[in-house]
Amino acid sequence: MREHRLKIGVSGIRGVVGDFLTPSLACSFAQAFGAFVGAGRVVLGRDTRSSGEMLQHAIACGLLASGCEVVDVGIQPTPTIQVYVGASRARGGISVTASHNPPEYNALKLFNHEGLFFNHYERRELLDIYYESEFRHAANHEIRGIARDTETPMRLHTERILRQVDVARIKARRFRVALDAVNGAGSVLSCRFLERALGCDLRAISVDPTRPFPREAEPRPDTLGELQELVRRNRADAGFAQDPDGDRLAVVDEQGNVLDNDDVLALVVDTVFSSMPGDVAVNLTTSSVIEDIAQLHGRRVYRTAVGEANVVDMMRAVDAVIGGEGANGGVIFPAVQYCRDSYTAMALLLDLMERTGEPVSALAGRLPRYYRRQGKVAFEHGLLGPLIQALEEKFPDAAADHTDGLKLLLKDAWIHVRASNTEPLVRFSIEARSAERADALYALATKTGDRLPVPHFSS
Amino acid sequence: MVHHRQLRISHAGLRGVVGRGLEAAHVLDFAAAFGTFLGPGPVVLGRDPRSSGVMIREGVIAALLAAGHDVVDLGVVSTPVIQHEIRLTGAVGGISIGASHNTAEWNALKFFASRGTYLSTAEATELLDLYHLRKFRFVEHTGLGKLRLEPNAIDRYLDQLADVFDLRALAGYKVLVDCCNGTSSLILRRMAGRFGLNFVLINEQIEGMSFAHEPATNARMVSLQLAPLMKPLAADAGFLFDIDSDRVAIACEDGAPVSEEMILPMIADYLLPRGPGKLVITNLSTTALVEEVACRHGGKVVRVPVGRQAAMDALATYRPEQIAVAGEGTGAVMMPQFRFVYDGIASMLAILSLMQHHEKKLSEIVNGYPAYSILKDELPLASQRIPALMMELKSQYADGWIDMRDGLRVGWPDRWFHVRVSQTEPVVRIIAEQKGEPPAALFDALMEQVRSLA
Repeated sequence: MREHRLKIGVSGIRGVVGDFLTPSLACSFAQAFGAFVGAGRVVLGRDTRSSGEMLQHAIACGLLASGCEVVDVGIQPTPTIQVYVGASRARGGISVTASHNPPEYNALKLFNHEGLFFNHYERRELLDIYYESEFRHAANHEIRGIARDTETPMRLHTERILRQVDVARIKARRFRVALDAVNGAGSVLSCRFLERALGCDLRAISVDPTRPFPREAEPRPDTLGELQELVRRNRADAGFAQDPDGDRLAVVDEQGNVLDNDDVLALVVDTVFSSMPGDVAVNLTTSSVIEDIAQLHGRRVYRTAVGEANVVDMMRAVDAVIGGEGANGGVIFPAVQYCRDSYTAMALLLDLMERTGEPVSALAGRLPRYYRRQGKVAFEHGLLGPLIQALEEKFPDAAADHTDGLKLLLKDAWIHVRASNTEPLVRFSIEARSAERADALYALATKTGDRLPVPHFSS
Repeated sequence: MVHHRQLRISHAGLRGVVGRGLEAAHVLDFAAAFGTFLGPGPVVLGRDPRSSGVMIREGVIAALLAAGHDVVDLGVVSTPVIQHEIRLTGAVGGISIGASHNTAEWNALKFFASRGTYLSTAEATELLDLYHLRKFRFVEHTGLGKLRLEPNAIDRYLDQLADVFDLRALAGYKVLVDCCNGTSSLILRRMAGRFGLNFVLINEQIEGMSFAHEPATNARMVSLQLAPLMKPLAADAGFLFDIDSDRVAIACEDGAPVSEEMILPMIADYLLPRGPGKLVITNLSTTALVEEVACRHGGKVVRVPVGRQAAMDALATYRPEQIAVAGEGTGAVMMPQFRFVYDGIASMLAILSLMQHHEKKLSEIVNGYPAYSILKDELPLASQRIPALMMELKSQYADGWIDMRDGLRVGWPDRWFHVRVSQTEPVVRIIAEQKGEPPAALFDALMEQVRSLA
């Protein structure tokens, strides 16, 4: 498998900083972005990884060279930047973050004037400009400056969220909350948000944005031991873990158990359905628990290819009230902004806890139980097509969805195989009503196709 | 305004019209090459006020951080301030973003070694090779540099000036200064505040989009800008700086411009009796008045080919204490007290100190020197004809002292001429000087000879 240290493609630019992701690459990509959005204001922020400062200067150079005015918001969570871009008259925004990737990586997340991820067509157009190097080269009198604003984005984002929950009642409960912000972009805002805005009794770790990530960047059950311990030791009502740019959230219940990300999304969907009309959109890999919740409320579920931009496109098309990507821990609530947002998820969960008066474990325990298995194999040319055909032959009666690889819908289970957007991998997801059925299907799916290598297991 | 695409990459660094030749990619690559060229350690950065400087600054910082260097940003300051700060803080090098005497649409990168001086020819060649190879040393994410802002460099620079010149003793002079919207106003305001000097500043607003006039430091600009104000203001001397304050032009109290050729001889006159150094380093095209002044103080002139690079290399062949001053006929002067940094403000202080020492008006000092008349022009000539021209002239003027290090210079006791090829344009420059009357016949003959070969 090729070491995947630089990728320039429709998902933007991502790579290992040093010999791969260089300042020159970042600068020319920013020039392409500037040429695409036009000579107006562009919001620029970053997460806390060590290469952020360097890349931010390279990007500012490219944007200024294209005649854009740069609004430097400094270290900010990605959803905070997206809210700010949407609320200001900016032409677009760039967040310098590799999200949940390891610290040696960095990348650019690109937003249009509404603060939304570029959709597929916008990304393709931007890539064309980049490859053709048809940049706009501003002359001295056309070059604008850099404005700095670190406070407004945090204030706007917080205000938007607080309008959607019962702040007074949440404050009155004075929830004891444990937080692990992975020393990421959320370090400052998360403390302010939970402590000041929502009146929580906060017990926080890893909230120093000047220090490296103390754990794996992705908030997964096997990496959150410290937070679990913090919850138990402090008898906290809940524990929250963010990724470095604050779009993903993992939740620990009051007993110290990490909730399944699909269940977190299900709880949020449930609470939003209880107070607002509208449907839900989720990606194909998200748990069927969403269908169960929707059925209870008489709402529709729309399924999309994996990827935040795909979910957002669908949500806008069907005017969904809530959406997200289950396994990735991303909640998208348009009343705040069309973006994955750990802050919105935290507020909605605290609101749910306040309204029901029940502990997190009980809320999660009432959700229909599903068993999930996930795996991945290295992508090879000619691997995915035969695998999809073989699976369809094996389950001729199952409904097949070809939106993103293959999703086979069985009576009591589903199987989803697809190529990753960001890494050279084929991903498997299986969900069933029993653990035995999930294991059996997993074994079957991964043995299907005569050219398949032995997959790497993770559940 | 329509501009041709302009980009120049040379031993002097990178220079061009921003957006019409000079692009962000050049800036990043050149700064990355410099970051690769330098040993580990911090790099000092400053810029002049052009709007494009903000863009270029971002690119330079990104490339230096990526190469593992901490960056100390002085903000908008003059080039000499950057050069002093490099030496005072033990930085491994520095970059000045600014196009000096060029109009606002231009910008440039100038590179300095850890000594605070421009790179030697060998160093500049190495930098160019790295730039052209584009094999830059970028470090891993754990070794990236950090940016630090340093707002107090101007004060440390003023301390250096105050060590050499008695600034308070100059407080009695009323000095008119045209800052041309450049960095000199920042320094002179602070200097006036700390040492009580009496400056009247015009065009003192820092501007990025355009300047009040072309930032050229020559007699023509002095006549336009300073001359009409000298008498009404009753100013004792007038000075005009370029944008990054490394060059200066001068007006007398009666409004008469001082020829830029006079600046080096006057400063040599002031410095030769005041230090151990007896050498004056200048180029082959500079006035012979330098020799006459040096002679008076028992000094000696060392002439080198035209251009900053030759001057830098010449400085490296002597110990600093052997040298009294180095400079050229354009008025650009470097002093050993300031570690050989071209510095218009130090030049201004030397001239004021000379006035104070002699207790004379500036016009009296200028007119006290013997008169030399210089004639200059340039003509286009195809490169393949140049050797023939030089050989022809050499045989024709075989009775003089022949110097062929930079084209041809021929000298006689009271006159000399220099015919050389420009390093920046495809032209031949012809200069002839004579003590007293202009050497019209010699100059016309030279011009005719070049024309006949064209």
